[in-house]
Amino acid sequence: MISLKHLSKHYGSLVAVEDLSLEVPKGELFCFLGPNGAGKTTTIKMMTGLLKPRGGEVRICDIDIAADPVAAKLKIGYIPDMPYLYDRLTTTEFFRFTGEIYDLPRDLVAAQLEEQFTTFSLMDYRSVLVKDLSHGLRQRLVYAATFLHDPEVLFIDEPLVGLDPYTIRLIKDLLIRRASEGMTIFLTTHILALAEDIAHRIGIIMHGRVVALGTLDELIASSDGNNLEDVFLDLTSKQYE
Amino acid sequence: MAITAGIIKKGWWRFRNTGRILREQSPFKVVFITVFALGFEIGLYLLFLDGFRFLDQLGGAGSLILNHLFALFFMGMGAMLVMSGIVTGYSTIFRSDEIPYLMTHPFTVSRIVLYKFFQAAVFASWSFGFVVIPFTAAYARFLELSPFFALWTLLFSLPFLVLCAGIGSVVVLLLVRWSPTGRALNLLCAAIPLLAGLLVWSLWQDAYDPSDDVQFTLSKLVPGLRPATNKLMPSWWVASGIVSLTRGHFLRGSMLWLLLVSTCAMLLMVIEWIGSATFVASWRRVIGSRRRSRHAPVLFPQAERLLSRIGADVRAVALKDVRIFCRDPSQWSQALIFFGLLALYFANLRNFRYHALPDAWRNTITFLNVFSVSAVVCSLGSRFVYPQLSLEGQGFWVLGLSPVKMGRIVKAKFVLAVLALLPISMALMLLSGAMLRADWPVRLLAVGLAGSISLAVAGLSTGLGAIFLDLRSRNPAAIVSSFGGTLNLVLSLGFMLLTIVPFGLIFHVRINGLLTPAGMIRAVILLSVWVTLITAATTIIPLRLGARSLSQRDY
Repeated sequence: MISLKHLSKHYGSLVAVEDLSLEVPKGELFCFLGPNGAGKTTTIKMMTGLLKPRGGEVRICDIDIAADPVAAKLKIGYIPDMPYLYDRLTTTEFFRFTGEIYDLPRDLVAAQLEEQFTTFSLMDYRSVLVKDLSHGLRQRLVYAATFLHDPEVLFIDEPLVGLDPYTIRLIKDLLIRRASEGMTIFLTTHILALAEDIAHRIGIIMHGRVVALGTLDELIASSDGNNLEDVFLDLTSKQYE
Repeated sequence: MAITAGIIKKGWWRFRNTGRILREQSPFKVVFITVFALGFEIGLYLLFLDGFRFLDQLGGAGSLILNHLFALFFMGMGAMLVMSGIVTGYSTIFRSDEIPYLMTHPFTVSRIVLYKFFQAAVFASWSFGFVVIPFTAAYARFLELSPFFALWTLLFSLPFLVLCAGIGSVVVLLLVRWSPTGRALNLLCAAIPLLAGLLVWSLWQDAYDPSDDVQFTLSKLVPGLRPATNKLMPSWWVASGIVSLTRGHFLRGSMLWLLLVSTCAMLLMVIEWIGSATFVASWRRVIGSRRRSRHAPVLFPQAERLLSRIGADVRAVALKDVRIFCRDPSQWSQALIFFGLLALYFANLRNFRYHALPDAWRNTITFLNVFSVSAVVCSLGSRFVYPQLSLEGQGFWVLGLSPVKMGRIVKAKFVLAVLALLPISMALMLLSGAMLRADWPVRLLAVGLAGSISLAVAGLSTGLGAIFLDLRSRNPAAIVSSFGGTLNLVLSLGFMLLTIVPFGLIFHVRINGLLTPAGMIRAVILLSVWVTLITAATTIIPLRLGARSLSQRDY
């Protein structure tokens, strides 16, 4: 589903990502961890076509995103840590707008509106302008709109920032369910407990290079630690020394 | 097609929701802004009408100018729209927060570019509407044209707007793609208005070839007449087309309209083509260029050392604002264009041979130039000084928690505004006086008035900016167009009239021989005291109220 081959990105003399190769199969929930500035967001932005790699290739559902970006983007959903929303639209209008840009049938959008807004407890906010929503409600709206076109691959940058415990549980359960239904999910996070809870596989990146890759058990077994935090700190603490 | 329909629907929904947002505002605020806008339009209409009548009464050259006035107007508006298109094109096409959203959804690049271009065109042209309505209304009233004149004007104005904004966007697309980045880009952006000014100046020089026809004589008196009446200029197509249709020459009018629309369509194709070829690389370059600089800042540490005698807190706030301003081309380019155009005009006063006019006219033009400079100072005060505090936004807690009194923060903002406005406005007035060879008392008076207005506008805008603080808005345009921003502009313009008009009146009376030289001196002294008093009041009172309002707020 997601295939990265020898991906690299430099900002001047700074190496953000170097020779990153990775395969994430269909239905896998992959967590990408790393300290600040390790290259997580740069990687996700290259995978979504926002940044052009210096070298290497990104394929989404076997489509080269550089060669056919529109076809690739029809397959993906992307939720950035601080998503852009149209402040002067109501939540319903934003949802319908998303349906329009993916050319979805109106009846499907209407049905999804009911379903997604119910799932994300947005029914009471159907006529509220986006500008009047709290951060948590905005995030819920973004999730609802992103799931509308049923993407095959979902990228999420820091999925739980600023959310309340109810919404965190809601999103965790949703991601697990969607992955079990075949959606490929690639997320970056600093919350190690989230990765422990939901990830099928975990990758740890530092200085633009993947320094560990495997299931939680594999990562723990390959180190002296007892949990993911020990593994993570063991691999990345040199950066802070 | 569905995507285009979606974008159009989104635009409609946003427009519809504007009514809802207006209903949520205070009725007083909505009424105030509406009354101000209407007053502004009516005032401009009366001013234009009076100007047409004045030119008509002059006869001779005045009547000849009137015939070309429509073409001149659209050429001037076109130049303004191109400039505005460059500034808004950069901020809308490349710096908008919406771009990452669009780039991660299934839009083709050409759609993104065209959509953002049309958005930029709307942003660039709203002020055109504000000017074109009273101008055409006054023109129609003066020449007693049919009501269809308004329809023809609208019909020609829309493609003209797209054409001018499109030229600006093409410039931006090419510039961002192929210009150097970082500091070199900043230097280049700073040089562009100057180079454009030099180009216009040299063109004017070439235009004054020795000939003694009426057009030549007129073009000496009225700058830009030659290019405005050039039949290859789209502004001439617009002016001639509107007049042709109004006079019933439908074939000629339609031909000119089709010429304009086809040129506009071709430009859209060019934008789409350049956008498809360059946009992604350019946008990535723009977002990449702001990531990390390899060079440590050189200028600001030196400025910090130079300002070491100022209190550390005030210095820190002032330097932070200067840094942010200098690092945002969409901010400083607007200020540069405002003052750059005025400087260009003043520097060219002798090319227009205004310095050879009789004393009374030279002094009058010097005085009128105070109006120009003051109007620009009022605009800059509203555009840049007023939103200073609000733009601290969600970062205001940094200032709120710092061990600095709010009064000192307001003071820092005020000092910065004064340092920015005062030297430039006074230097421009000195340049104007020198180029016109105006009498020294008039020059000093003009410089003094420009200084007073700069000081008062800085105080008023800073104070009102603190009183009507809006920390939620991140968009400077939204802050400027708010109730406080509008009130600030109204009061600034009001102050400008209160200071300049009395002097204008006594000069007028003196020119007509109704005031003796001794009486004139007494009147000037009296008015100087008046200006000093209202400048002090307009500067100090809003600053005090602003500081008090800030210290009493919850954050």
